[in-house]
Amino acid sequence: MAKLELHNISKVYNQSNGIVKTLSNINLQINEGEFVCLVGPSGCGKTTLLNIIAGLEKPDSGEVILDGRSVSDTGPDRTMVFQEGALFPWLRVIENVEFGLKVAGVQKEKRSERAMHYLDMMQLTKFADAYTYQLSTGMKQRVAIARSLVMDPEVLLMDEPFAAIDAQTRDLLLVELQLIWQRTRKTIVFVTHNISESVCLGDRVVVFTHRPATVKNEFKIDYRRPRLIEDTNLNTYAHAILKELKSEVVAALKEEFKEPKQSDGSERFDGSQ
Amino acid sequence: MIETSSMVRRLVFYAGIVGVWQAIFMTQVLPEALLPSPLQVIDTLAYNASTGALPFAVGTSLWRLFAGFAIAVAGGFAIGFYMAKYKVVHETVGSAVLGLQSIPSIAWVPVGLIWFGLNDAGILFVVIIGTIFAMAMSTYTGIRNIPPIYIKAARNMGASGISLLTNVVFPAALPHIVSGMRHGWSFAWRALINAEMLFTFLGLGFLLSVGRDLFNMAQVISVMIVIMTIGLVIDLLLFSKVEKAVEAKWGLR
Repeated sequence: MAKLELHNISKVYNQSNGIVKTLSNINLQINEGEFVCLVGPSGCGKTTLLNIIAGLEKPDSGEVILDGRSVSDTGPDRTMVFQEGALFPWLRVIENVEFGLKVAGVQKEKRSERAMHYLDMMQLTKFADAYTYQLSTGMKQRVAIARSLVMDPEVLLMDEPFAAIDAQTRDLLLVELQLIWQRTRKTIVFVTHNISESVCLGDRVVVFTHRPATVKNEFKIDYRRPRLIEDTNLNTYAHAILKELKSEVVAALKEEFKEPKQSDGSERFDGSQ
Repeated sequence: MIETSSMVRRLVFYAGIVGVWQAIFMTQVLPEALLPSPLQVIDTLAYNASTGALPFAVGTSLWRLFAGFAIAVAGGFAIGFYMAKYKVVHETVGSAVLGLQSIPSIAWVPVGLIWFGLNDAGILFVVIIGTIFAMAMSTYTGIRNIPPIYIKAARNMGASGISLLTNVVFPAALPHIVSGMRHGWSFAWRALINAEMLFTFLGLGFLLSVGRDLFNMAQVISVMIVIMTIGLVIDLLLFSKVEKAVEAKWGLR
């Protein structure tokens, strides 16, 4: 039985900029301990799908099944690492990591012990008492990962966590994340628009189409770990995925160029008012 | 803390003002009754301090200030919180709050007098009403400006209801609320002096209006200096420090 199952997830929603996004009939099975990457053109709804798994958004239809039971609300069994880190600036690093445990009512000593364990795993013990503004972007994301892992989730959700990090730091984090995954054997769902990142990390890469987003194809990446992003052997996988994804990206771009015409801002300049 | 050199500059500046004042006094352009000398003002200050009139007035004003301010902060927080939480409250109560906060506190004095009479309750009413709407607005803005990602992250880690409120909403809105309190406190201080002058019922405002009634300019000026000093001291020792601490913690400085 699969650890996490998505059954016919569909959702139509309006964004504030007038673009209608659609997730259409998404079916996905993710096994226990599997590292799955979801790739697709930006704006296709990968993040929304992750939010739906986390229970932060509701699908119009379909269901999310974790360990055989349907989940619809948020829960610490599905913690998320957000793109922007989303650490709380009023808390120290250790307090950020302890946050979920504190909410769950775990005792003070117990929770700081567990928080320290994960800070140690992320090599951040020196910064336990720092405030988040004192950290670099890469360190912030490591704290965010520790904060999610401390809840000992069934599934770890990651929403483009390395997108805002400089390339050198990111490359190190890609290795670090694989080592942590090997140590903890967590089931991970990782969203990215970066193909090399996805082949570097994933046991399996799921490619999504442009709107309406649906699963286009899947690729198994059978390669030793920890993988380095510059490993040329990974290129074969990346090329195959790129081929699959290219038409979708082109479709997304076309739509992006078309869309400003429909917004009210640009009309003012062609005299029609 | 203020460094010594800036302290020296300040001292020189204020000494300069007193010097100019003394010079104008000595030219006798204005009669002594209209412009007393700095020394006469200090004399009056010392006299009022020695009779106990001044300490009593300061004490009375301060307890009214803090009581009124505390109630306004609590009430304003509650109003602002519900405005941020429920759209319907924002549309209804919110528009009223926006209008009401533009009413100068002195305009509430007749209402306070008629509803409560010449007593502490009437004065407190003016202080509270002069402060509460500004506090409500800053709480509302503070909560509305919380980045949604904080709420998302907190919910993701299991926070909801009260735990979401105490662990995320309140601390996230704190910088806004604290600077709102700093503003609110100066509103309260002005409202209080307004009310005390017109109620003529104890306090510094009362002492000020007695000075006017007796045509005692030295008393008027001395009380004004006390009002200014208290305002400055509370702002520097309390609000400015709290604000700085919050900003430092948040990495805004």
